[in-house]
Amino acid sequence: MAETTKKRSFFSQKICRFCNDDDSKVYIDFFDIKALKPLISERGKIVPSRISGNCAKCQRLLTRAIKKARNIALLPFSVQH
Amino acid sequence: MRSYQSVLILKPDLEESRVDEALAKIGEFIKSNGGAILKTEKWGKKRLAYRVKKNRFGVYLNIYHTLEPSGVVDLEKKYKLFDLIIKFMVVLLADDELERALGREEEVEGEKAAATEDTKDTKDKKDNDE
Repeated sequence: MAETTKKRSFFSQKICRFCNDDDSKVYIDFFDIKALKPLISERGKIVPSRISGNCAKCQRLLTRAIKKARNIALLPFSVQH
Repeated sequence: MRSYQSVLILKPDLEESRVDEALAKIGEFIKSNGGAILKTEKWGKKRLAYRVKKNRFGVYLNIYHTLEPSGVVDLEKKYKLFDLIIKFMVVLLADDELERALGREEEVEGEKAAATEDTKDTKDKKDNDE
């Protein structure tokens, strides 16, 4: 139990960061790097919705946007250490 | 007729006038395939997330245009043969996505980023030399 609270405190938000309040359609642009950057890990991996708190629908749009951004060299496929 | 978005990366060491020339040529490509340019955005020089044809930087162009669906393959072929383009992507846009894109104001952010990255550029050249 202690572990989960620890995790929660690190990623405190459990709300989708793309959904609008007024149920209007969500758009996630692949070239909006500012919006996508927080949702990839240090290694360049896509952060799972389990951790980011995004809803399933937005997460699907997000993965598509990130993959497009990777194709056009806006985001890395992987980061070497 | 459908609407598309072409994102192109040009070679990083081009002058502004060469970029405009390239843009004019790209416009011809699109017209010859039965399309029309709706909006162009210059994102400026940006750092690439990974090396593309040994380049660490690239000049980004973003073009919203219409095109006959049968012309996409031909357009991509032309992009591929055009020597100033190092990478490109053609994306199909839905009507509402297009409307949204045309309504959006061009951000000035690109210019700012280019200015700061020019200083980084010299550093990277050193990296390339190694």
